[in-house]
Amino acid sequence: MEEKDWEASSSSENEAGFPNDDDDDEFHSGGSEPRLQFRVGSSKARWIAELGMAEVEVKRGKLWTTTGIIRSGKTYCFIEEALYLSEIGELQILGSEDDVVITLKDLYENIAEEKSGCCWENYEVYRYLKSLGYILGRHGVSWTSKNAAISTPSGQEESVCSGECPQEKDTITQLLVDMQIFDAKAVYDVYLPNSRFKKSSPNEPSFVACFSGDSPPSKEDIKVLRNRIAAPLMFCHIAQGRASFFSFSSIDLPVLP
Amino acid sequence: MAPRWKWKGAEAKALAEPISKSVTELQLSLSKTESSGTLSSSNVLLAVEPEQAELLDRCCFGRLVLSAEKAKKWIQLSFEEAFFLFYSLKCIKISLKGRYLEDEVDTWTYMKSKRPNFPIFYKAYSHLRSKNWVLRSGLQYGVDFVAYRHHPSLVHSEYSVLVQSGDSDRLIVWSDIHCAVRLSGSVAKTLLTLYVNGYFKGEDLNLPVCLENFTVEEQTISRWSPQLSREDETTNSKPNVTPLLSNLKNL
Repeated sequence: MEEKDWEASSSSENEAGFPNDDDDDEFHSGGSEPRLQFRVGSSKARWIAELGMAEVEVKRGKLWTTTGIIRSGKTYCFIEEALYLSEIGELQILGSEDDVVITLKDLYENIAEEKSGCCWENYEVYRYLKSLGYILGRHGVSWTSKNAAISTPSGQEESVCSGECPQEKDTITQLLVDMQIFDAKAVYDVYLPNSRFKKSSPNEPSFVACFSGDSPPSKEDIKVLRNRIAAPLMFCHIAQGRASFFSFSSIDLPVLP
Repeated sequence: MAPRWKWKGAEAKALAEPISKSVTELQLSLSKTESSGTLSSSNVLLAVEPEQAELLDRCCFGRLVLSAEKAKKWIQLSFEEAFFLFYSLKCIKISLKGRYLEDEVDTWTYMKSKRPNFPIFYKAYSHLRSKNWVLRSGLQYGVDFVAYRHHPSLVHSEYSVLVQSGDSDRLIVWSDIHCAVRLSGSVAKTLLTLYVNGYFKGEDLNLPVCLENFTVEEQTISRWSPQLSREDETTNSKPNVTPLLSNLKNL
């Protein structure tokens, strides 16, 4: 009886079965760059430093159905939204005091200094997914609210609506998260591209984009986030222009017959 | 990921002969002949009758050592496999240097001294084996084990398994995760980590009964590709300049 080597005997064990995705994540194409120009009559917004957000004054195009939050009938956008729209020439941002245009340089500095609740890593993922057509909102911030004023947004998951948001089931966890004891944070609610998306009833996000920084999330961090958040979690890692999204899922393999 | 059966009828065959049934048969057969394995620094060598070799193969324990001998077959078992037969199934004896190791603690201590991570690996191994999953060495895939739903001749393995614990140095940096997930994906398996919880200091590991205090948490790690998940009209899955601009029109 020869030795049977079941693994080696089947060459299809090594079939890839999955598309070759070596180049999938390079979203800098290197060679030719898109020629983006400011649309004639692009949208305009005014930066409000105290809020760390821009208030939209002139809206152009359908993009506002999937960008910005609505408070008391006005639309505001976060730094990442403002920066992305500026980058693609869809938005001009003006200073609070006067009509001086806030440049990309100013916006990049804001991100680099993490002044408005968004760091560079967060922004790269935001831009990457937006360019693929996904809809992103900051986690913990509702798209609309009937009668709330805006409180200061920060990097933390504070709700900016007036108590119509779902209550935090575990308030101690929320406190700890606010104290940023845990390294992993939920940052964006992500929705699949959807031309019928409505801010008034967005439904559950397809997943929540989380960041754990320099290292992969610890078991404990994943547990805390999973207890707080019902939607699937994706942990983002972006480095050298390569964006990867990992899900860590608790399972229980069945007992086989 | 659904199980990938290797040929038409393989699934039916698997259903007709569940692993648990083969294992019970094996257990009875080995007990009856009082089979005994010889312990060495890296494995256990078991002498069995041809029919028993067949049973061991059916349950995927060990590797056959080729020899001209006809009456007896020699099977090389890993520490995990041997200890499972010895401690969990209680169907073989273990001997060292010609002497039976009657006390389980002696075998445990010996194996632990040769491989300090043996207790944790054994807990992970027995955790899945007890659920009737088939586990083989994962070395050729860069992992600890590969898990099959049934015999490898019938089905492709679904999971590549990495064992982790509290003071583990596995999957510490992002490139570890990228590496393990990519490796698994390139051989069409899902990465499964088995996290063994428990106290691993000094005396706690002296007895095999420490195994009862360990628990195992199962977790899969997979990579999601944004290009392939969109439900929109654009079917172009390679990111380049054109979709970027066409998406702008859809905004």
